[in-house]
Amino acid sequence: MKAVIHRALLFAAVWLVLTGADPAGFAAGLAVSAAAVWLSLHLLPARHPFKLWRMALHFPRFVIGSVRGGVDVALRAFSPGLRLNPGWIEVPSDLPDGARAALGGELSLMPGTLVAGSAEGKLIVHLLDTDAGFDAAIPREEAEIAALIGRARAGAP
Amino acid sequence: MMADVATYVLTALGLVFFVAGTVGLLRFPDTFSRLHALTKADNLGLGFIALGVAFQADTWAQLAMLALIWALALLAAGTVAQLVARAALAQVQVDE
Repeated sequence: MKAVIHRALLFAAVWLVLTGADPAGFAAGLAVSAAAVWLSLHLLPARHPFKLWRMALHFPRFVIGSVRGGVDVALRAFSPGLRLNPGWIEVPSDLPDGARAALGGELSLMPGTLVAGSAEGKLIVHLLDTDAGFDAAIPREEAEIAALIGRARAGAP
Repeated sequence: MMADVATYVLTALGLVFFVAGTVGLLRFPDTFSRLHALTKADNLGLGFIALGVAFQADTWAQLAMLALIWALALLAAGTVAQLVARAALAQVQVDE
């Protein structure tokens, strides 16, 4: 039930932003938000509790990480010698599907990591430079995503 | 005046990152490395441009719209990067 309220608020907020909160759009917004909630519950059922405050706590770190990721890749692109040493690693992860996709999306914006799906419970991660220690961030990010859906684990902050 | 300066500086910075993403796309050796460049640099470029344009916004609604655009582009970038990488990896494995 909490998930329905969360999602309804989210979609209603998106509608208000898109329409500039024009009162003429309220009726349509109600119908569209309801349809969006229904569709989202089908596509991504609310199986796990979702901690919104955890996400708010996580946001600054995400922004810092994505700035570092962008700066790092820009410096490499502009550097005459192209300091790249690409390679692959596999990282075990027991996150459920939706959370794993979120982790993959997040890691794809963090410095030097890119997720190319998963196989047999392991994330397949591409590293831009295997010598740069980019993979150290993966367990940290995983713990943060796990905490978003209410899973505490060893090593989680 | 100060707002205009902030807009110039931030959007210029944003453009630098878009150029970096494109340079990376051209120079990096393989599909996966190129995806790193596109996803991360373009995401940051858009972030700086949105931030720069935000200094020209007159209403909260415009700010909210900019934030929404950035958030949706982020979501799309992270998702599409994974999908392209997964498809490219499957292709590599077929070729081998």
